[in-house]
Amino acid sequence: MVSTLEDRVRPPAAAGGPLSTQEFFINMGPQHPSTHGVLRLVLKLDGETVREVIPVLGYIHRGIEKIGEHQTYRQFVHLSDRLDYLSALMNNWAVSLTVEKAAKIELNDRIQVIRTIMAELQRIQSHQLWWGVLGMDLGAFTPFLYGFRDREVLTDVFEETMGARLTMNYIQPGGLMQDIHPNFVERVKSFLKYFKPKLAEYEELLGGNVILQERLRKVGRLEAKTAVSMGATGPVLRASGVAHDLRKKEPYGVYSKVAFDVPVGTMGDCWDRYWVRIEEMRQSMRIVEQLIDNIPAGKHLLVKPAIVIKVPQGLYYGQVETARGILGIFVVADGTGYPYRIHLRTPNFNNLWSITAIAPGLRVADLVAILSSLDIVVPDIDR
Amino acid sequence: MGLITEKLPLYLDPVPGSSWFLGKLDEVINWSRANSLWPLTFGTSCCAIEVMMAAGASRHDVARFGAEVARPSPRQADLLVVAGTIVKRMAPRLRTLYEQMAEPRYVIATGSCVISGGPFIYHSYSTLRGLDGVVPVDVYVPGCPPRPEAYFYGILTLQKLIKEGETVRRPGERRKPVLAALPAGMTVDQIQEEMRSLLVTEKNSGDRRNG
Amino acid sequence: MDNEKLLAALKTLEPQISVRENADRLAVTVPCERLGAFMSKLKLENALRFDILYAHTAIDWVAENRFELIYILSSLEHGHSLMVCVSIPRDAPVAPSVSSIWRIAEWQEREVYDMFGVLYRDHPDLRRLLLEDDWQGFPLRKDYKDDFMLEKPQ
Repeated sequence: MVSTLEDRVRPPAAAGGPLSTQEFFINMGPQHPSTHGVLRLVLKLDGETVREVIPVLGYIHRGIEKIGEHQTYRQFVHLSDRLDYLSALMNNWAVSLTVEKAAKIELNDRIQVIRTIMAELQRIQSHQLWWGVLGMDLGAFTPFLYGFRDREVLTDVFEETMGARLTMNYIQPGGLMQDIHPNFVERVKSFLKYFKPKLAEYEELLGGNVILQERLRKVGRLEAKTAVSMGATGPVLRASGVAHDLRKKEPYGVYSKVAFDVPVGTMGDCWDRYWVRIEEMRQSMRIVEQLIDNIPAGKHLLVKPAIVIKVPQGLYYGQVETARGILGIFVVADGTGYPYRIHLRTPNFNNLWSITAIAPGLRVADLVAILSSLDIVVPDIDR
Repeated sequence: MGLITEKLPLYLDPVPGSSWFLGKLDEVINWSRANSLWPLTFGTSCCAIEVMMAAGASRHDVARFGAEVARPSPRQADLLVVAGTIVKRMAPRLRTLYEQMAEPRYVIATGSCVISGGPFIYHSYSTLRGLDGVVPVDVYVPGCPPRPEAYFYGILTLQKLIKEGETVRRPGERRKPVLAALPAGMTVDQIQEEMRSLLVTEKNSGDRRNG
Repeated sequence: MDNEKLLAALKTLEPQISVRENADRLAVTVPCERLGAFMSKLKLENALRFDILYAHTAIDWVAENRFELIYILSSLEHGHSLMVCVSIPRDAPVAPSVSSIWRIAEWQEREVYDMFGVLYRDHPDLRRLLLEDDWQGFPLRKDYKDDFMLEKPQ
């Protein structure tokens, strides 16, 4: 009943005749520059054409779910940073939101507004990195430098408030770790002013490039129906034409009070995924602009850090829209300060699965474009 | 060329009255090894963003320390920067990568995970608690993840070791690794000062040899 | 559909379901042998149309000697969501696969097999997902022991 990888990759018997071809298997990864980490794809190839993709996971499986059973809810937040480290704040928020809903902790407006601003800034930051890396994967090194140049501006803003550049551990059940820095509002405004023309530059530099368009347009199409069945979420799902965004559908934070659009693609190809993310950056800036001027007054932490938050017995599932899709936290609580079981429904795990539907029939070089447009973060897949 | 005419004479003694220089070949070789490290593109998790990407990008620019030519193939690289957690399943693959690299090869381990297991030390059935059981490590850079500046400190420390001839090992030979930590509570100015002093150790080592 | 209407609709589909208490959304427990038919109705019935399977996982209730399988479903069209729970015995953990209904289930079920050792009938490719094929034991079981694993000193 249970098979192994070896059973899957048994090479087919050679066909007869002098001019016949044979399908073969090659490994892409676990150490490969375009898999963005230690992802391994076993490819079944017919010459240059991909016949089948078998993702092999677990090269960075750290057992976070098991560790989580031995951590209090507040302690677990720092592990969520290390899932999809590019949307660390949104991961923090997902854990906090689930725990707050379960333990019935009410938050004030200040906390909600600051959380929303931070999450949107991080969405921009994450997409900046994706944009740079997409360029690098497809052979252009310049976007990487441009993307990081602008990313560092935001990193500085975060660092000033949170004291960390990447794994912030800032949003806590019951509030925020620290209050925002006095310079925060001013610096975010100057960032918005700085980044708006830069986004136009992004589109000119990479989006307007014929080579890039040739590499992305009509490559790696994912039909809407397949995308839903494959469990894809986030920009990958929206590029396929399904306007499913938790910020609109099940608003959390203060998303119900701000105006923004959900960009939706039509074809579901790599270009749509590219375009959706560029447009999301624009919408995120719109959200931040609406909120940054009136951050309400109030306390930033409503539960004292020394208190161990106890969650009443039950099953809880909370989710947020991170930069890559829906991160769901499933908590089984037994009434103590520790979860009985904690399960992470991570966006990349589910998004990566759709590559098995996209890739067959394409060339090996297109696979790099697809991987890049899916925006994979491997530790988030393996947990 | 500027670098060579400026820095190389530190290792060479001019012969009086002629245009000849005398020096130990080893020292010249070590000097050139230290200043042309080719790291392997290898990142497993969060540290890769800071140490491989942010450090290599425009703001921090690892090219200043001569270690920017990241190679995807281990056969062309001589510096293995292990950026991120290593789990049981990855360890044999990492060992293979290390063994495929050109000699002499150096290893920098960045981040808490490869030092001790970091946040995954307890109750994890798969995370390795430290990298030293898999490959010999020259320099550890602590942090979770370390900042690019901390990584540069690690590179400079490694360069110092190479120049002093301490890291040229025979296969299988183990040596106690160095922890390249920046002390807590250090200010940016102090870090820059420290970096400068590390950079001029070249001069000092030249002086020491002369004296 | 609100929870009461939804529950009524589910009851007409499958009379053997019961409400699972203590969940933050509507949760129903289905007998294991009815799971496959029930799930495909959830997906296909126009009024329900649960087209996205967000998460599938298991809970190890070691004291009660059973596994509880959890399916978290949602409908993009109608916006309602549902938790489906199934109890299976811990010493013979076998459940029907739903991977023909939602393709993502193929991976999620492989993960549950990997972590809990639950076997799925009619799964197209059941093998370990995150751990090596020759790994001994199922780590997320509560009684999992390992020489390598370090307990936190109290």
